[in-house]
Amino acid sequence: MDTKKSQLLRQGLLVFIALAVITGIEYFVGTNGAFLPAMVLMALVKAGLVLWYYMHIRKVFTGGEE
Amino acid sequence: MSAEITAAHGAEGEYQYKTQTNRLGLWLFLVSDSFIFGALLVTRFYLLGLHRPELNQPLGLVVTSVLLTSSFFMNRAETSMAYGDRKGFLSNILATIALGITFLLGVVGVEWRTAPFSVSDGAQGAVFFMMTGMHGFHVLTGVVLLLILYFNGRRGVYSAERHWAVEAGAVYWHFVDLVWVFFYPALYLIGTVIAR
Repeated sequence: MDTKKSQLLRQGLLVFIALAVITGIEYFVGTNGAFLPAMVLMALVKAGLVLWYYMHIRKVFTGGEE
Repeated sequence: MSAEITAAHGAEGEYQYKTQTNRLGLWLFLVSDSFIFGALLVTRFYLLGLHRPELNQPLGLVVTSVLLTSSFFMNRAETSMAYGDRKGFLSNILATIALGITFLLGVVGVEWRTAPFSVSDGAQGAVFFMMTGMHGFHVLTGVVLLLILYFNGRRGVYSAERHWAVEAGAVYWHFVDLVWVFFYPALYLIGTVIAR
């Protein structure tokens, strides 16, 4: 049980790092001419990570099973 | 229906069934709420096109990072409660609340006051204040919800087996973060600054 918990906490940390890195790239691209398709793609990837790992959207379809 | 489920699967089965229904209801609410934010996003591009308001870039990055970090702590709070770690839940949810308030202070307390335009300054004023105002209001309601969860958590209301309210609060909080994922580039990064 504790292993599973540690695994989930670690996963949360990795997702956070990924989101932070993408935000940094977003800022860099945005303040240097903002290539629109890249900005949209980065926002979609971030949204996907939040929906899947933080909001557990799959629970809606699996009845609560992770 | 509820009595039938209780008879067949016991009180725990009934709780699971209710949680499943509640979860669906919460997501339906979030989908309907996202239409409001979607409309605001469309309005922004319709009225401003590939131009953006003149805003404080470093501050935008800071408030975005703060909200992102709050989501990280919210995830830890939810995971902690799912495994019965009440102490971990309380400390992480407190961090989330503090970061949520910091975000509000950054946007409403600083950005609103220092923006070189007002709400009545044409399309950019209307778009910026409406988008950040509507989002900020959701952050505020999220903070209130998290405070309720915190005090209930202190009283021992939630457990590893029964913590639907915590899950709902977490999903709502992440939704607020999700909206900002789109609002931040739309307001701060995409397009050229509107000349004064």
